[in-house]
Order: sequence, then structure tokens, then C-alpha cells
Amino acid sequence: MFAGGGARGTVISTASTVVVLAIFVLIFVLAPGARTVAHAFFYPHDMWQSFVGDPRKGYYSVGAAIWLNIRMFLAAEVLILPIALVIALIRQSTHPALFPIRVIATIYVDFFRGVPLLLVVLALGLGVPGLYLPVISHQPDAVYGVAALVISYSAYVSEVYRAGLNSVHRSQVAAARSLGLTQRTALRYVILPQAVRNIIPPLLNDFIALQKDTSLVGVLGVIEANQAANIYASTVFNYSSFTVAAILFLILTIPLARFTDRLIERDRRRRLAGVAT
Amino acid sequence: MRRFLVAGAAVAIAGGLAACGTSSSSSGAPSGSGSTSTAVTSCTTSGIQHLLFKPGVLTVATDNPVYTPWFVNNTPKNGKGYESAVAYAVATQLGFSKSQVTWVHEPFNSVYSPGPKAFDFDINEVSFTPQRAQAVTFSNSYYPVQQSIVALKGSPITTAHSAAQLKTYLYGDQIGTTGLAYINADIQPAKQPKVFNTLALAASALEAHRIDALVTDTPTAQYMAAYQLKHAVLVAQFPTVGEHYGLVLAKGNQLATCVNQALATLSQNGTLASLRHKWLGVYLHFPTIKP
Repeated sequence: MFAGGGARGTVISTASTVVVLAIFVLIFVLAPGARTVAHAFFYPHDMWQSFVGDPRKGYYSVGAAIWLNIRMFLAAEVLILPIALVIALIRQSTHPALFPIRVIATIYVDFFRGVPLLLVVLALGLGVPGLYLPVISHQPDAVYGVAALVISYSAYVSEVYRAGLNSVHRSQVAAARSLGLTQRTALRYVILPQAVRNIIPPLLNDFIALQKDTSLVGVLGVIEANQAANIYASTVFNYSSFTVAAILFLILTIPLARFTDRLIERDRRRRLAGVAT
Repeated sequence: MRRFLVAGAAVAIAGGLAACGTSSSSSGAPSGSGSTSTAVTSCTTSGIQHLLFKPGVLTVATDNPVYTPWFVNNTPKNGKGYESAVAYAVATQLGFSKSQVTWVHEPFNSVYSPGPKAFDFDINEVSFTPQRAQAVTFSNSYYPVQQSIVALKGSPITTAHSAAQLKTYLYGDQIGTTGLAYINADIQPAKQPKVFNTLALAASALEAHRIDALVTDTPTAQYMAAYQLKHAVLVAQFPTVGEHYGLVLAKGNQLATCVNQALATLSQNGTLASLRHKWLGVYLHFPTIKP
């Protein structure tokens, strides 16, 4: 997928990769401030210290903190998928009685796609506890963080769903209805399966972004990976902890990115095969 | 094919990182103390010109916003507040007039970034620690720090704060502060403290009952309790652990020698004490408790 076919392609792509990487490394190593920057960002001792953490010295394990990011991401994703679908279906509905709900859904999507996620996190995390409601106002901060992620990302993902629904040709509905399927069963068994297949790559794209945005919940005082790295940096005056957090986030997101690539490729091949035969 | 390329890239990157690691280990030697030992030719105004960020002016950095009683009205150049006054006193010792002092904004996180600094010294309640002194050069102390507890009036910690009871509360603090280190090292609470990007966020969390108490230096704590937060109170202060605030200079900046001379003079002639009395005096009479 990266290289053109054949052994010659392999040689050329390998050589060019080595040259490009060498240039980057050279620029980095030969820069006048290279040693200071390397010490500030890539010092193995500080990277290890920030990875394992030591609360007695005022900082926390970045390695342990990423587990909170993973849990927040998983919880948010499970909630976003159905909520966004419902919003998309409401916006696609045509029944006159549903008009007010359609308007509300449209306003919701416009609003939460337009407001910075950080502000939603702050508003929920600082505002809801201040309401002194039973149960709702007494949740851990991570819960408000996840709620903010769900609210914001549901707006984005509903638009992805809507694009998917629109990508299925209208003749599919007509054909399904003419076979005697009701509106609902046509949606469930004909439209949705095709729509969802079309949008898996953009969905995964949004979820990669979601994984990274879990770091915004740190503003509520929750010690997630980014916050743990920041605490280390400002306690010890060394940024190597940020490198550790970056590596951990890459370990999380790269497999998902590669998986997305593979899905796109498989889907493309399948469609091309359909055309050829 | 793809696997091979990815593996190759990983090896190349790892090699690069390893190279960085070895090359930096020699430069990472701790300096040990806050002051530089390198001799400076002369601390006269003309003698230090080549050490300045901008010749002819003393460029002083601090964060934005800055808080009372360290600064007043978020305006460092008005000479009001303890840190503003100390900065101008140091400037006078170094031979600068008030108009020759320029203030610049430097966020806490970039004070210790590698590379050239856009200021001569930073004054922003930065505590000296040996680890931090590996990245920047600290001046000697201009303020000895003690930590205090701020809590809401009537909350349990205001009456129940024996050593064992202190461990049971949920604390919050600003990121990178020695108050946070103090909570973890000396109070050792059962619940993990919450860590906020700014003290203002920690204060809102206190007001929203999301934390039981926060720990910060005594003058800040007193100001928060007396003026910033409606229902808060300074519970007590902890005994000193030898912590102090220092001016922050670029690593190895020889100006530190002259700044230290200036601070020594200001300390001997009583200026620091009178400034402390003027700007922090009302803030410093509190019962001490042991964690």
C-alpha cells in the first residue's frame, strides 16, 4: 500500500524512507540547541520517572493515567454510536408531527459542533456539581468529562451517519418498499447496513480524534495522561513526560488508524470486484 | 513489505532517540545549588550589559494573570505587590531606573523551555528545587514559603485537622506547585488529590464542594480566604520545610551572580523585610499545625 509493486519498488521506497528519516535526524542532531532540546524532551531518566510516577515527589505515573483515558474513551464511544444514530434518524425523518424534534436536533448539532469541546467540559464539570442536584451533582469528574465528550461527539457523528444515510440511493428504498417491507424494516434491513458500511472509515476517524480529546477532561482536575505529563513537566521542569504521553497516545491510535486503512482498502477492492464481474 | 518498512522506520527513530539520549546525558549534570559559581567581571550597570536580553533595559517576566498580594490589579509595572516591589528593588540595585524595567508575559510552562529566554529574570512564586535547578538557574531566596490550608467555612477540616484527620480529606491544588508536593509528601492523604491547571480552577472546585481543601502558600491562601472566595477560610499554616521562592534565570546566566548580590544587599539593609511587612504583613499571622 505504501510502495508501488515489485522488488524495484521495494528498494526505492526503502531507500527514500531511509534518506528522508536521515535528513530529519540530521537536522535535529546538528541544530545548535540540539543537546538542550534533547535533554528537555527526550531525557531517558525523566521519561522513565514520569512513566512510573512518584506521588511523594509531586507527580503521578503517566503510564497509569492513560488507563483513565482508555476507560473514558470506551465509555464515550459506546454511548455516542446509538445517540448519534438517533439524532441522524430524527433529522432524516419526514413526518410532519416530528417537525419540532427535527428543529431541536438541528439546533443541537449546530450548537455542539460549533462550541469548543473544552468549554463543554468546563461547563459540565464545574456547573453541574454547583446545581446541588441529588445524584447528578455528585458524580466523579471523569463522568462529567465523558458526558461532555458524548454530547459534543454525538453532534459530529450524527452528521457522519446522515452522510451515510444519504449515500444510499433512493431507489433502494423504493425497491424495498415494493417488496412489501414497511418503512421501518426497509430502514433496518436495507438502508442502515449499506449506510453504516459506507461510513466506517469516517467513524473511526472521529474515534481516533475522540481518544485524543479525552485529554481535555484533565482541566477538571482528573489525572489523565496529558495532565499527569503536565504535572511532571511543571514539577521537575523537564518536558520528557510529554514525549511519554505522546508515545502512549500513539500506541493507542496507530492500531486504529491502520485498521481504518485496511477497512477502506478491503471495501475498495470489494466494490471494484463488483464492477469488474 | 509494509511490516518491513514500519520496522525499519521504528529502528531509525529509535536510533535517533538513543543518540539524543547519550548526547544529552553529559549536559544533564545537576548544578547543585541555586546560584552560579562562575565569576562575573563586574556587577556595575555597564558590566552587565552583555548579559541582558535587551541592552539598556531589564526585562522581567511574569505570568498573566498575576494575583494579589504578589502583584496588584494584575499590573506588574505599577510597583505594587510584593513581587513587583522586589523586582523594582533588584532593578534599582543593578542600576536601572523604574522606566528602564520592561515587563513581559511568560506562561509558567514556558519559563523552563530550552533555548534562549526572552527575559532577564522571571518572578512568579517559583519555588526552588534541585530538580528544577537542572533546567534553569535560580537566584537565592526572596521569600521563605510556608503552605496553608484553605477550606470552606464550617466544613469538617476547619475543626478536625489532627495529623490523622488531615489524611482523610480530598485535596486539590494547582499544577506543578510545591503545595501539591507538600500534600503528597507530608500530608499523605488516602484519596488522590485533584490537580488543576490554574489556582482559579482549584478555587472554583472548592466553592462547588468538589474538593475539601486546597493547599497554597500562606499569603495567597490568606488573600483567597479574605477577598477572592466568599465562604472560604484559612484553616492553618504548616511549619516551614525550608522552601523558598527564587527568581528564575536562563540556565547558566551569569546575571544570577549580580542578582544574588542585589538580593543580599536588600536583605542586609532591611528592604526585603520592610517590603514583606508592607505587602504581606497582614497575611502572616496564623496558627501552625503539623501534618
